[in-house]
Amino acid sequence: MSFEEKMNESGEDEKSKRLNISLLRYMWEASPLYFKESYHTFFRNLSVLKSFSDNDIRIFTTYLHRREFETNEAIFKYGDSGYGFYFIHSGSVSIQEPGGEEIVHLEKSKFFGELALLDEGHRRPATAIATTPTVLLGIFKPDLDKMLESHPVLGAKFVHESAMILANKIGHMTKEIMALRRKLEALEKKN
Amino acid sequence: MKKNQIVKVYLFFAILIAALAFMVKFPRLTLPFGFSYILYLMINPVASRILRGNNQQRIIYSLFFTACACLLVVPLVATLYNAETDFKQLLKHIPELRVKLQFKYLQFRELFIDKTGVKLSLDPVTYIMRNVESQGANLLSSIPTLVSAILEWMLLVPLFLYFFFKESKTLKVKFMEFIPNSIFEKTYVLFSQFNTKFGEYIIAKFIEATILGSLVTLGLILVSFPYPFILGIVAGVTNILPYVGPIIGFVPAIAVALLSQNPDVTLLSATLIYLIANAVDMVLVFPLLVSKIVNLHPILVVVSVLAGGQIGGAVGMIVVIPMVAFIQLLFKEIYQDLNAQ
Repeated sequence: MSFEEKMNESGEDEKSKRLNISLLRYMWEASPLYFKESYHTFFRNLSVLKSFSDNDIRIFTTYLHRREFETNEAIFKYGDSGYGFYFIHSGSVSIQEPGGEEIVHLEKSKFFGELALLDEGHRRPATAIATTPTVLLGIFKPDLDKMLESHPVLGAKFVHESAMILANKIGHMTKEIMALRRKLEALEKKN
Repeated sequence: MKKNQIVKVYLFFAILIAALAFMVKFPRLTLPFGFSYILYLMINPVASRILRGNNQQRIIYSLFFTACACLLVVPLVATLYNAETDFKQLLKHIPELRVKLQFKYLQFRELFIDKTGVKLSLDPVTYIMRNVESQGANLLSSIPTLVSAILEWMLLVPLFLYFFFKESKTLKVKFMEFIPNSIFEKTYVLFSQFNTKFGEYIIAKFIEATILGSLVTLGLILVSFPYPFILGIVAGVTNILPYVGPIIGFVPAIAVALLSQNPDVTLLSATLIYLIANAVDMVLVFPLLVSKIVNLHPILVVVSVLAGGQIGGAVGMIVVIPMVAFIQLLFKEIYQDLNAQ
């Protein structure tokens, strides 16, 4: 699909476009000549948004919320109602069990909380805590609804990417469960 | 939670309460501001739909919405013009109406003495008419204040509306940054849900009132009932109030039917028209437009409307329903959180 087609698909008519300064800025920031890190370069480097064009990323970033967290500040707690999907722009996050035991440690460019966007009445299955001063870029359920309303193609792409993340996680979990089952069976045989 | 995070939460709620107190203290500013916000919520979905897409789509959408607005506005202006004529006629007939009412009451008093033997010493007709006259005089004396208020609103509402359209996105981002992290997700989601529901509810009620008012007016014109336009407007406006509205809207039609000497003007025909219009509203318009937006228990609706009327008059009665729906949502969230803990 050509760039023009993508532009038309996401609701932009090339004929009607005047000089769009913000678009030019993002195109400049996306170019190899530009080194300073921006939201655009941040998302350009994320593998989960690989199907997004530059223009898609430009629109996508308008739906994001920047949240700053101090060291040891809770992002969300186990059992909280969840509505947001977060990308780590800088800093690090520890995902913990209710008892405080760490499940996974996430660094810059990682993401978490994607289930909250797709699940109705979602409750957080773990606690997330910032382990250093952290900047997160979050997208929330109302933002996704608005995106699906105003930019349906982009919204569908993002839902698809989120579903792919979940599918990958389920695939990993299935493999782990099978490996554990094999270990259990081996132990049972030994005994 | 760290000490500075707790301070942030307290500060946030303190500023919210201060803002609410400011709004209560300065109603001259708050009311047009609130009205502009409601208008913004009503216009915004249409505007964003028009601005979406390419030039051709924009033209088609603009034409479609202009046609819809004309379809709504032209009959509304015509109705208002005819309603003015109706109203002037009604004013002319007030002395005649007073005599008729007095006569009907005397007939009733005679009948009451015949049946019960008790003589009624009350004179409700004089009392009602005196009240109507004094209210009319009050209205006349308050005209200068009313005119200045209208002029003030004519200046403030477009200004606030322009401000909402231009700055709402920036303002929203600033407001969101100000919300403490610990309550951000919930506050943001509830705030978005409230905005959407409130806008949808006001639009739905407006459309519902227009449809019902039009049906009543058309029906009354068909049976040559007097004052069809003014009765249609009253039926439409009162219909905004749930449950009690249709009954209040029907009362003027009963009065007109009882006092008319024209044999064609019967209470039965008026009753049938109001019943049909309300049936169409209950069976078609309400389930399709309103019930999906707010789903409250009927008793809660009646109690809320009464409380809303007590606090904020007619505006309070309309605004209270989405407010209660929001409070219900808020309590549901808190209850679920407590259960999860």
